Amino acid sequence: MVQMYYIRGLLMVGRIVLLFRAEARSRRQRPNNEVQIAMDRPRECVVVSQKVRRVLGRWLHALFLLTALAACGCRQQHPVIAVIPRTCGTALWEPEHAGAAAVARARGLEIYWNAPMRDDDIQTQIALIEKSVKRHYAGIIVSPIETLPMRTPIRRVLAEGIPVVVVGTELGVAPGPKLTYVLSDERAAGEMAARRVGSILEGKGSIAILGIDPQLTSNMERERSLEATLAREFPEIHVAVRQFGLSSVPQEQEAAEELLAKGQTIDAIIALSLASTRGVYYALAEFGKAGNVKLVGFDQDLIPPIRNGGIDSVIAQNTYAMGQLAMDVMDRELHGKGSATVLEVPPVLMTRENVDSAQIRQILNLAWWPPR
Amino acid sequence: MKAILSARNLMIAGSAVAVIALSAVSGVFLLRSIARRTPFSGQSVSLAKQDDWQAFGGTWQYADGAMQNNSDERGAKLMSGPTYWSNYSIEADVLLLGQYGDAGLIIRSTDEEEGVDAYHGYMAGLRDLDNTLILGRADYGWREYAAKPVTPRVYAQQWYHVKFLAYGCDFAVSARAPGGQTTSVAVEDPDCLTEGRFGFKSYNTGAEWRNVEIRKATGQDLVAMTGDARPTIATPDALPMGAAPGSYDHYFEPIQRDLLAHRTDVNAQSISSLRLLSPDIPASVTIHGVVTLTSPVLFIQDPTGGLAISDSHAHAPLQIGDEVEAKGDAELHDFSSRLRDANVRLLWSHTPVPPVAVTAAQAATGAFDAEYVELQGRLEHKDEAAGHTLVLTLDDASQSFLAIVSEAGQAERLRTLKEKSRLRLRGICVVDSDYTHDLTSFALLLPSFNDVEVVDGPPWWSAGHIVATIIGVLLLALAGLSCYFLIERWRMQAVLEERGRLAHEMHDTLAQSFAGLGFQLEAIRDEANEGSNIVPQLDVARLMVRNSHEEARRSIAMLRPENLESVGLLRAMENCAHRMVNGTSSIAVRVSSDGSERAIPLRISDTLMRIGQEAVANAVRHAHPAHLDISLNYLRSAVELMVKDDGCGFSVTGELAGFGILGMHKRADSIGATLTIHSAPGNGTTLCVQAPTPPSLLRAFWIRFENSWRNRSDGNPRR
Repeated sequence: MVQMYYIRGLLMVGRIVLLFRAEARSRRQRPNNEVQIAMDRPRECVVVSQKVRRVLGRWLHALFLLTALAACGCRQQHPVIAVIPRTCGTALWEPEHAGAAAVARARGLEIYWNAPMRDDDIQTQIALIEKSVKRHYAGIIVSPIETLPMRTPIRRVLAEGIPVVVVGTELGVAPGPKLTYVLSDERAAGEMAARRVGSILEGKGSIAILGIDPQLTSNMERERSLEATLAREFPEIHVAVRQFGLSSVPQEQEAAEELLAKGQTIDAIIALSLASTRGVYYALAEFGKAGNVKLVGFDQDLIPPIRNGGIDSVIAQNTYAMGQLAMDVMDRELHGKGSATVLEVPPVLMTRENVDSAQIRQILNLAWWPPR
Repeated sequence: MKAILSARNLMIAGSAVAVIALSAVSGVFLLRSIARRTPFSGQSVSLAKQDDWQAFGGTWQYADGAMQNNSDERGAKLMSGPTYWSNYSIEADVLLLGQYGDAGLIIRSTDEEEGVDAYHGYMAGLRDLDNTLILGRADYGWREYAAKPVTPRVYAQQWYHVKFLAYGCDFAVSARAPGGQTTSVAVEDPDCLTEGRFGFKSYNTGAEWRNVEIRKATGQDLVAMTGDARPTIATPDALPMGAAPGSYDHYFEPIQRDLLAHRTDVNAQSISSLRLLSPDIPASVTIHGVVTLTSPVLFIQDPTGGLAISDSHAHAPLQIGDEVEAKGDAELHDFSSRLRDANVRLLWSHTPVPPVAVTAAQAATGAFDAEYVELQGRLEHKDEAAGHTLVLTLDDASQSFLAIVSEAGQAERLRTLKEKSRLRLRGICVVDSDYTHDLTSFALLLPSFNDVEVVDGPPWWSAGHIVATIIGVLLLALAGLSCYFLIERWRMQAVLEERGRLAHEMHDTLAQSFAGLGFQLEAIRDEANEGSNIVPQLDVARLMVRNSHEEARRSIAMLRPENLESVGLLRAMENCAHRMVNGTSSIAVRVSSDGSERAIPLRISDTLMRIGQEAVANAVRHAHPAHLDISLNYLRSAVELMVKDDGCGFSVTGELAGFGILGMHKRADSIGATLTIHSAPGNGTTLCVQAPTPPSLLRAFWIRFENSWRNRSDGNPRR
């Protein structure tokens, strides 16, 4: 808005300069007696000599050029895309920043990257979306913290004609004009986790599934796929415990402590979220069972325990590729080439063996900044 | 052409003024820009002046000479200073409260928002997760330029002196441990941010800052921190902590600390189960719960109930919504338990308990003692108590209860609370007589004034409003009455003007015609022979014309307006009487007045005038008096007009309509006046009309209104 007024102001100054120059030109072509008439006008009219006018004209011209140059320098030239993950500064979501920034730089887009300070703060995430709309950003890429509360804000953004790419979980709102989903393939992730556990336990044993979160569609899809695969491919693996997820690591830790304190025989634990993976690992370490009770987690966070076997493996979301894909979709949407669709990025099993591989390093890449 | 030239020159002059103004403004900005980037002298920063600081997340408070952030939010910031400072250093003592985060100083920052790395600026500080001194840059995303192990190591709950300096595109940070060991890092950021303000930041832990100083920075200051070697070019690390091979071992210790910090006692009891303990055997118990109140007493609550903790010992300041583990001695009370001498440990934050909606009758049973509830009541009165505490007394149906809240800093909001308002309150329900003083069944301890919400204001029908309404209605009535009289006055003036016009018309047409007709008849009479048969008829015609002329003259005299306001009623009557008796010189007119003369409303004086005129006319026309006395008496609350003649008189019991007496009565009624006529054959006639003056105007108005209404009902409008 400010820029609009600024540009209008510039145009006005430009018009004044042009008028002044046209007047000077016509005066130069006018006979001398007409100049004399002009000089004879009443005293209340302001008298400006030709010389003064020439100097003023130059000043105005120079001022106009300087202002125009300044405007070119200050003006925001690239469309801004708001990228709002569940939270910032974590190994899970910073690679999305890096992936999105890499594509944005190549396509001449700018990024507004911000998120709630806690990954359960849905109200702040909604406030950031509303702020992005007020700032007239060209598009919004968002990774919803919860499914249901995000539907109305997203529909309102779409009603404003702003394209949205939803990353990480479905909202139940069908993809359509200006709405695209970029998801991690949760069905494949569930299968991956089931097969990993099946492989570790050699198809037999008792497991616990923690961190079930009905508030997130992606989490439930993980769980359903996991259980379906276990039932289908590893019928002798018994799911002894199922626990709902809690919002923070300490709460997950407490829940896992209570589970372990019961003394129930558990051969492996599958933790369906980042917080539950860390919480379960903390509880296992606290009870001296890290490594003995196999932990298959979801969403990359703690890397060192993977190296020493405290965490057997983590089904990592390729958030770097999701960020790239989301920004690519947004760019195409801004150029009128959008296609209402759901795009899926395959997850990656992160283990002690491949944690230093090029693929994992790419997934963990934090470099959102431009290369020097 | 002149106009065009004039407009053109005005445009030129305007442009010249604009150029000069723009140049002046640019000059001012240039000078200001140079001045404000000029290094300033060293100064201490006041942490106590809250207005100088701007918070972005966190829960900040100044206590014991230090600024504290008690929140473990990731990326809480507190900013101060102007955004145009360039080369300067900030140093402060920094203490980390938690085991798994970082805290430090921000320099050259702009565009801050709430968010983990939501600012453009540089941050340096201590991180106890991997025991390092860190330095990096945030541009709504973090670039970590350096993470150097601290000697001997970073301990939570220990003060370190941190100095962070920016000079040109060079940045240096040093941290001095309590033992005097100093760790330093310096980098050069070629595409650096050149100016911005300073502040504090913490990540994933609470922290404290004290002894903050800002100084201008010079090249010598930079060399003093870094030595002669040039700072290395900043190269951010592109992998998360612990992801680089061979560098992960030292992360296990902080992980171990973090998990132990949040380890909980799995044998913790539920709060409601404490009531089942033996009242005679002291019991040390462990409970888990969420903080619902911190002051004046700590209250916590779990899904089974609430409990007060007296003499609590917490490692860090607690906030409402913190999940804690408390170990102490259980003390049983009738409706709830209490924990004494308890150690309270924070487990995690941001899990506030929603209040239970209850009625005052339900709360009065004691079933919700020590629990966080929400209820409504009508505010009866508010009293200030000791220790800046406000006590609200509320009613809800059959129950009264107290609500106790600290009023510190809420004086303005307190004033806006009106008695009889319906309030919704959220707080801890207590039945302890320390709070109820045994006057009410229970009391509510409110966490803050924000837990008081006005649902409905006081009822409109208060004594003040009723009085105001009555006054308003009276004023409106008065205004209406004034308007009515004003309009009536205008109407009267219009009537008078119309009468004057009619009088003039009659004078110029009818009276002139009669005069002309008389002259013609006179001429015919003169020409006619005395013995002619036509003479008697001509004499009759002449007499009829003369009489008609007289009648016309009297009518004109009656219609002619008298300027009652300027000449007065008595004078106007006298003039009128003289005009009427003109030609009958045998009648002597005498006027008199009695009482203190005062102004009479126009409508009354006009009506009296008309009645008087009619009386004079009747006397002249029918009574043939020798004297005509007109008197006007000003009584205390009335004015009396009397017209008296010594003519032939008449019997008042006879038919009076022919004398216009009925019309006089109607006129008298219209102003609430009384009309009396005394007469007898041979004894003359006395007419007396007495009209009330202003003190009884309202009565007169009412009479007029009543008459008007009656006439309208009878289908006989007066005019």
